[in-house]
Amino acid sequence: MDTVQGQNFEPQILGFLCNWCSYAGADLAGVSRFQYPPNIRVIRVLCSAKVDPLYVMKALLNGIDGVLIAGCHPGECHYVTGNYYARRRAVMLHKLLEVIGLEPERLRLEWVSASEGTIFAEVVKDFTRTIKSLGPNPLKPEGI
Amino acid sequence: MRKYNELLQNIVRGMLRAGLVEEVLAFAQGLNESDIVPLFITDEQDVERIATVSYYPCSLANLFAEYGDNSKKTAMIVRSCDARAMVELAKRHQVNLDNLYLVGIECYGVVQAKDKNHHIYIFPEEMELDGELKPLDEGILSPNCRRCEYPIPTMADVSYRIERNGESLVTANTEKGMRILSAANISPSETPQPDTTVVKERAARWQEREFGELRKMEPRERLNYWLSQFNKCIKCYGCRNSCPVCYCKDCYLGPERLLVRREKIPPETLFHITRLIHIGDICVNCGQCEAACPMEIPVSKLFHMLNKELSVIFKYEPGLDISSLPPISTITEEDLARTGVDLD
Repeated sequence: MDTVQGQNFEPQILGFLCNWCSYAGADLAGVSRFQYPPNIRVIRVLCSAKVDPLYVMKALLNGIDGVLIAGCHPGECHYVTGNYYARRRAVMLHKLLEVIGLEPERLRLEWVSASEGTIFAEVVKDFTRTIKSLGPNPLKPEGI
Repeated sequence: MRKYNELLQNIVRGMLRAGLVEEVLAFAQGLNESDIVPLFITDEQDVERIATVSYYPCSLANLFAEYGDNSKKTAMIVRSCDARAMVELAKRHQVNLDNLYLVGIECYGVVQAKDKNHHIYIFPEEMELDGELKPLDEGILSPNCRRCEYPIPTMADVSYRIERNGESLVTANTEKGMRILSAANISPSETPQPDTTVVKERAARWQEREFGELRKMEPRERLNYWLSQFNKCIKCYGCRNSCPVCYCKDCYLGPERLLVRREKIPPETLFHITRLIHIGDICVNCGQCEAACPMEIPVSKLFHMLNKELSVIFKYEPGLDISSLPPISTITEEDLARTGVDLD
């Protein structure tokens, strides 16, 4: 894969999707044949609060170009308050990325419910576009 | 040396004599005048060794969390950073403040280890160097102290002020503080809190200087700066071990957790980022991590910078108020009303 910034750059995006809303939303997007870029690799987690900030940082420090965390809308969390924790952590991580010199846009938190297949496709399209304009992660090891 | 300590030693002696506390954790003189060591004092004859010079070799909060006995009545002679660390540890149920009496020393900065052989006292605008009063040379201060805006230990039970004429004053901040003073038979002085604008201005100036030059950099340049700093790391775990608010017994960074690879030096960048994630929101800027670092990585600058940014977003000042809970693991009423992915 060409890692030079430009047309040929295909970003690698890691998606942490919550089992109860966003993973079902992504499933709906697939079943309904909504088109979205194939750059995202999905990890299913039981709740967006399960995403330890360490997972995000480990991925970014190892050269992933973008990380998407998707969870239920506020008030709709299967575990009542998990997504509020996820939100606080994402806010903290955005600042942390800024302080150490990575673009905060490389991490994105989105609310996607189980019925929002179109929104999931839109989010992935838009995020892929953002990452393409940012260019490859400067920490990407050679040859990946 | 004795003149600044006299009142403090009377307080400690009074507390021990009245049975208010069983032991006192303080810095004391070791083998010679420049040797300052932490000491658990249980015997009155050790009280006269207590030292108040402006040098702080390690965090007493860290020591207490590791070696202290939470069931014993203990007093601690701390500076404001350690008093704040104790409050943060108490929020996380690591120490029991009910059994602790915090005697806070008003602190306008301490010197780095290379200057510890001087007999030094730091005041807001002056310093006493080997018995001689001079205008304060800010370069002599520890880097974190230049950026510190909390000279008054308002979170401690009493605050103890050293005046440059050799007088000492003590004021009680809490009801427990009144008990300390009555045990020592000292009437609290009614002097108002000193004006801290000088120190606040100094802190703002140094924060602007040190953080400003990092903020001015392009993101890529800043990343390269930190990566080159982290590449100096020899993974001695000094920063982790000296940190007062980093208290886990089972640490993510241990080799058995497989997060950072065994025998790899310098460690992965994740080593430092993990610490940043875990305590970035509650760093009390005590500077012990940077003082412990043999490779002179400016870790405390990184932690303090993130903490300053986060304290604005979360409206949280670490260690000032026991009732405000850790921002990363607390959901507020306002959070429940917000529907966006941001906190504003």
